[in-house]
Amino acid sequence: MTRRYHFGAVLSAIVLLCCGALILGQKVNAAGEGSITGTVKLDGPAPHMRGIDMSKDPYCVKQHASNPAHLETWVVGSGGGVADTVLYLDGWSGAAQTETSVPVFDQKDCMYTPHVLALDTNQEFKVVTSDQTAHNIHPLPNPMINVGWNQSQPPGAPPVTKAWKNPEVIPVQCNIHPWMHGWFVVVKGPYAVSDDSGHYTINNVPPGSYTVKAWHEPDEAQTQKVTVAAGGSATADFTLKAK
Amino acid sequence: MRTGLRKWSLLLGAAAFFALPLTSWAQLSTADIASRDNMEAHIGNLTGHVNARSTYDYKRYCVSCHGDLGDGNGEVAQWLDPPMWPKPRDFQMGVFKCRSTLTGSLPTDEDLFDTIARGLDRSAMPQWSQFTKQQRADLVAYVKHFSPRFVTEKPGTPITIPPEPEVTPERIKAGREVFARVQCWKCHGVQGMANGPSASTLTDDLGRPIAPFNFTEGSRPKCGDTDRDIYKIFMTGLDGTPMPSFADNIKPDEAWDLVFYLRTFMQGASKAKELAKTMDLKPVNPNP
Amino acid sequence: MHVLSRSSLRKVVRSAISLVSFTLLLAPFVLISAKPAKAIPAFARKYGLRCSACHETWPILNNFGLKFRDNGYQIMNDRDAPIWQNPSYWPATFRMTPIWHRFSNLQAVDTYTGASTANPYGTQAVERITSSGVDLSGLDFHTGGTLYKNISFYLLPSSDPTGAFHFETVMTRFDNILGSSWLNIKVGRFELNNLLSEKRAVGLTADGGIYQTYHFIPVGDGNIFGQMGDNQLGIEYVGHSYNDRTRVSAALLDSNDGNVNLTLGANSYSGFFTFDQAVDAGKWDVQRLGAYAFVGQAATYYKTSGGVPIAGSGVGNKGFSRIGVTTQFYFGPHFDVNFVTQHGEDNAWFGQGYGNAVATDGDGGVTCTGPTATTPGCPPNNTPGTTLSALARAPSWNGYTIEARYVYSPTLIFLGRYEAERMQQQATIGTPQNIGNINLWDFIARWNPFMSNRAGMALQAEYTVMHQVGTGPTVGLTTANLNDNEILLGTDFDF
Repeated sequence: MTRRYHFGAVLSAIVLLCCGALILGQKVNAAGEGSITGTVKLDGPAPHMRGIDMSKDPYCVKQHASNPAHLETWVVGSGGGVADTVLYLDGWSGAAQTETSVPVFDQKDCMYTPHVLALDTNQEFKVVTSDQTAHNIHPLPNPMINVGWNQSQPPGAPPVTKAWKNPEVIPVQCNIHPWMHGWFVVVKGPYAVSDDSGHYTINNVPPGSYTVKAWHEPDEAQTQKVTVAAGGSATADFTLKAK
Repeated sequence: MRTGLRKWSLLLGAAAFFALPLTSWAQLSTADIASRDNMEAHIGNLTGHVNARSTYDYKRYCVSCHGDLGDGNGEVAQWLDPPMWPKPRDFQMGVFKCRSTLTGSLPTDEDLFDTIARGLDRSAMPQWSQFTKQQRADLVAYVKHFSPRFVTEKPGTPITIPPEPEVTPERIKAGREVFARVQCWKCHGVQGMANGPSASTLTDDLGRPIAPFNFTEGSRPKCGDTDRDIYKIFMTGLDGTPMPSFADNIKPDEAWDLVFYLRTFMQGASKAKELAKTMDLKPVNPNP
Repeated sequence: MHVLSRSSLRKVVRSAISLVSFTLLLAPFVLISAKPAKAIPAFARKYGLRCSACHETWPILNNFGLKFRDNGYQIMNDRDAPIWQNPSYWPATFRMTPIWHRFSNLQAVDTYTGASTANPYGTQAVERITSSGVDLSGLDFHTGGTLYKNISFYLLPSSDPTGAFHFETVMTRFDNILGSSWLNIKVGRFELNNLLSEKRAVGLTADGGIYQTYHFIPVGDGNIFGQMGDNQLGIEYVGHSYNDRTRVSAALLDSNDGNVNLTLGANSYSGFFTFDQAVDAGKWDVQRLGAYAFVGQAATYYKTSGGVPIAGSGVGNKGFSRIGVTTQFYFGPHFDVNFVTQHGEDNAWFGQGYGNAVATDGDGGVTCTGPTATTPGCPPNNTPGTTLSALARAPSWNGYTIEARYVYSPTLIFLGRYEAERMQQQATIGTPQNIGNINLWDFIARWNPFMSNRAGMALQAEYTVMHQVGTGPTVGLTTANLNDNEILLGTDFDF
């Protein structure tokens, strides 16, 4: 954990680029399943996100000519909503794999989109590159938990499809562009990632009592207990503190 | 521009500073390690074991760097300062640079067997070629028994390397194109002198500074200096380091072209180097 | 005079033993300083390896250490040049050996019985003299290592316990010339490429601390050279396969026995050639088999001035040879046996004592301060007109050294050695066949309480017995056999 903290604290330097739907391909597919919804907010003013110097690679500089890049550690919306928070059910003991969609992790304008990619264990994901400069995609799991790898992604590289076996928060980096830093958050069971306004909805939750866990980089983790009624919706709001 | 770079190097210096005290991921207990003392290694018709001999040899030759628990925390690890002196390998992680297998997979027993004899240039790892083959095979088993990965996973399948074609000027030129396309120069520099724009900020998996290979210094590549070794290095990547695998992006035939082009940077006689003298080979343009 | 004649007698027997050590009869430690072992924590420091990586037990090299040395003190990882070291690194080390020892030998002792003016000391009788006490050896100050990739040096000023220094080793090496491990050159004063290195012997006693086979010379022989155990001046070619399994060397040496300033022959040279091959014997470890040949010429005639031989004027070269085989058998990690044989032969002139008329160092004998014909103890000079007696023949002999080591661990070693030197043909017809024959036993237990990459300390217990026929004290017309024994308890520091 210490190490993840270091990576988060020092290497993360990412600009918010696009705000697409971050709750990925989840649909209610069984009768009686409910959902957990809520908002993640930041206590206090949004921390200043420093700009990123991309002068190492003129291509990256050009991509950000009109849209300066800055760190993406804290992406805070107008109402104080915090994006890129992963919400999941702590101690999930349900189905081995609830998520079957194949999310995409894009290397675009020398940044990672999304900045945080939540995944179920063994859920496949695709790493693509939209850039005309070479990247290497280098996730750094704890080798005792997951198996890391390091692949080149030059312009036009075919997608890399991978999955992670065990739950773990895995930093990912590009060694060529040291500011490129993102996260694979591998959890068991249903999950959601908060959007720009801090909203999230975890779908496909069977009725029962759960501990909802909110993870935000670098090592923030809060929990709340909720009970989901059959077909119902429970609420869990979180307030994070920027360190 | 310069200020920005400096700022980055400061940041990364800080990263290195914070990451340094952490020299391994996890710490396995002696009992945990001992539970794998039935580990074997198979190299050709040799079978290596964790036995009195490999235990003795490990303690005599390896322990001062790699430590009693194989975690790379031997007594002298503290004096090895990356990038000039890379830290000793943590065998518990089961992550190895020199493999014939794809990135993310375990090396074969032969890979480890070869690494012990070959050593790792530009590090404190000598060439242990004086051992008998049986000693080396036993040491491979001994190294493997530190990591649970060798129980839970099978080694990867070695990549298929087609026979080396004849070097031609066309192939060298094609290799230059590959060098430009996959942008080796980002780290290694357009003339292979390890001075690419990203060279100065590279870190290994534990955040410690690491230098890219300088092809021009007359030094051997990390995982061997035959053409096949070089082919393997960039196709499989050096796990634990910033060097990625290019297997998805370089076709086998192109890979030989790239080997030939890299040879033109390197000291030592090679046919590619001879041919290059007759060609007007200009360094690739980093910003076309 | 008594002391002088004794030393003069023994110099020809064991000429590695210096004059000084015999004026100080109980000072075997001088020998220790004359045969410093080359254990260099500086190397362990430099590379972070424990001593045990290179040393079976220091100072004995194992195969990895041998390869390191053959590569010119390089582990060949492209980080050998000093430029890669921390600037405070300096490749230097000290070795010192405080010891307690007990030395026992035979002496011709005055009896004083019936003292008279004509014979104030009485008659003499052979008596065993035994002394013991805490002692101090000299100091070795080793410095060596790479100056640049593939260029290295070794400098070893060695001091006796009184602080008198001499240069034991001074050499530079040029390795991997043209990128080939087969092309290495060594220049200076260095140890010959002996597979069983005397400079790395574990023994610390006077008799056990040298290999008799490397120093044996027939009684009365005047050949100052032919001393395989001594460091020699010259230039040596060394080649080896990349993994050091095959080794070959050829050295061109001054026939000066390592003495600087060309004190001996004007134009006499020797050659030392070795070859050895190691084979992978599976679970029996690596076995090494080699052979050596030492052939050369040394002067027997020195021009004189007022009858005193002139240094450097030596001519009248006569030949000699030493050939033999060496083996290193490892039986697994704990037990190994080393074997050296020698067949030696000196020209008949040497056999009659010619050859060392101007020797000035402890190895050779007496400096002739007056005409050779009249100076007592001064060796004969092969001046024009000299002829050999009809009884003179070329002496020849055979030597055997077997050294077995039980290495319990790198820090605990037990060593046993037996050496036998047997005359095959005496230099003079009529000399009893066995005169000069040597039997030597040496037993050592050596424990290193610590041995890190910074420093090492060894505790050593050693027992040595040496017998030599016909070289003991002389009483009247009878010469006793030499019969020494030594016990040594010592510490050996290297840091």
